[in-house]
Amino acid sequence: MVTFRKGDIIFCEYEPGDTFYLLQSGRVQIVRIIGELEKNIDILYPGEVFGEMAILEEAPRSATTIALDEVKALEFTKENFEVLMMGNPQIAMKLLKLFVKRIYDQKRRFMILTLEDVEAKVADVFLMLAENQSMDTSAGESIEFKTTVDDMSHWAGIPPGQCREVLNHFVAQRRIELHPDKIVVKNINDFARFVGSRRKHQEK
Amino acid sequence: MPKSVQYRANSIIYFKGDQSERIYLLNAGKVSLSYVDIESGQEMRDLIKTGEFFGVKSALGRYIREETAIVLQDSTVMVFSVGEFEQVASKNTRIITKMLKVFSNQLRRIHKQVQTLLVSDEQVNPETGLYKIGEYYMKNKRYGQALHAYKRYLVYYPSGAFATDVTSKIVSAEDFLSRYGSGEPPASAPAAAPAATAAAAGLSPSVSTSAQQAPADASGLAQQYYNAVSLVSQEKYMEAFKAFKKIIDGGADAEYSTKAEFEMAKCLFYLRQFDSCIKSFTTIVQKFPKHPEMKDALFFVARSYEEKGEKAKAAGLFKKILSMGTEDDPVIRKVKKALRTLEGGRV
Repeated sequence: MVTFRKGDIIFCEYEPGDTFYLLQSGRVQIVRIIGELEKNIDILYPGEVFGEMAILEEAPRSATTIALDEVKALEFTKENFEVLMMGNPQIAMKLLKLFVKRIYDQKRRFMILTLEDVEAKVADVFLMLAENQSMDTSAGESIEFKTTVDDMSHWAGIPPGQCREVLNHFVAQRRIELHPDKIVVKNINDFARFVGSRRKHQEK
Repeated sequence: MPKSVQYRANSIIYFKGDQSERIYLLNAGKVSLSYVDIESGQEMRDLIKTGEFFGVKSALGRYIREETAIVLQDSTVMVFSVGEFEQVASKNTRIITKMLKVFSNQLRRIHKQVQTLLVSDEQVNPETGLYKIGEYYMKNKRYGQALHAYKRYLVYYPSGAFATDVTSKIVSAEDFLSRYGSGEPPASAPAAAPAATAAAAGLSPSVSTSAQQAPADASGLAQQYYNAVSLVSQEKYMEAFKAFKKIIDGGADAEYSTKAEFEMAKCLFYLRQFDSCIKSFTTIVQKFPKHPEMKDALFFVARSYEEKGEKAKAAGLFKKILSMGTEDDPVIRKVKKALRTLEGGRV
């Protein structure tokens, strides 16, 4: 069990990682410094696992974690991992489900990145966001996304400038509305069909 | 209760695109999973071994099936609901740990595939990345967090491109932290902050279990301290600086941490971090107005001003030191010599 004081950094983006944590008490904020801004990625509550990529590979951490309260967490390493899992089937199951979600998320991201057409990439990011919120993409509904151009460009794997161009083009086509804090997609099914046809075209 | 179900050869257990919360365990027979590889677009087939589960990911994650399960020979399959699977697995965690290994391999593979597609625009050199995080928090006056990032930097890149800069910034961050607090940690934190932050960062191997740490034993400390002093005498100032820092971070008692702090400030002078040197010694003499080595401290401050070209300030301080000691004091002799050089230089 490890304890962090409010405000402590638990680990920094870019530092090598060999531990991961199960949050027992207190909240943990996940942030990334993008340019001159600290961007909030998520806030975790007790029962959640973070830093789990560390047991997979000794890649640098992909985000910074900060204790928002006094935080108590169980710390796992590659070495104690199996022993701890044996004694904690619920944690093991939680981790299994987390891995399932991560695999799915990565595959979904891969699908976006392998699209050749940039417009299709950006449209597919909207589809992914809709799926994450369990929204039906086959209905011709308007959906509001709490997202920004920078987020979109991150997911689409394209530079923000290029992403903005694509979004502006979608605005001109009246397919979306661009607001400072949100983007409204007028007809999500229109994007679903567009991405589907591009993907098919690519497979040929 | 999980049910045992017989399947005839050539039947389908489930289709790609189905949504279901059933998990299967092959007891006897032959089942294959066919799916399209996302990278190559090729149709792939995996054989399920007897005793192996399948359909787990889509059931647990409530996603649609990504593969079609085809029965190749007459087979017996146990069918579990997610709840039943969880019950069985929690009684036999080997099932879960084995699956975790399989899934972590899959995750590693897909993660790599994604990273290769991102290489061009998202990869930042981790050394620079870590440094920039420190810079960000420093700039935004979040000193506790800046300190953490900088200290991690020194752990991983002790002779990195930014090491000297980081070393002096650690001193400034600690100074700011003790004077203004970080805004984030509790206001009472200053004195304990550097050690506690370092402990939380896991800087010393013994602290990973708690942010609190018992001081190392005295003889070990003395050894550590004299090793560090010997680095100074070998003019290995950066290494010495870090060695002293480690003593403080390790939660040394007041005697050794005070000594180490003093030596660190000296190292900063030799590392030509004059501003940081001045700041550090100023903090020390404010904290200990009757410091036994007050004259030495002021001497380094004066020399730092001299190096910075602020000769009037340097001369003022040298004269102040002179008023504090007698002729036979080696510091006084050094000061007199320095003053002569300084005033000679001005003419």
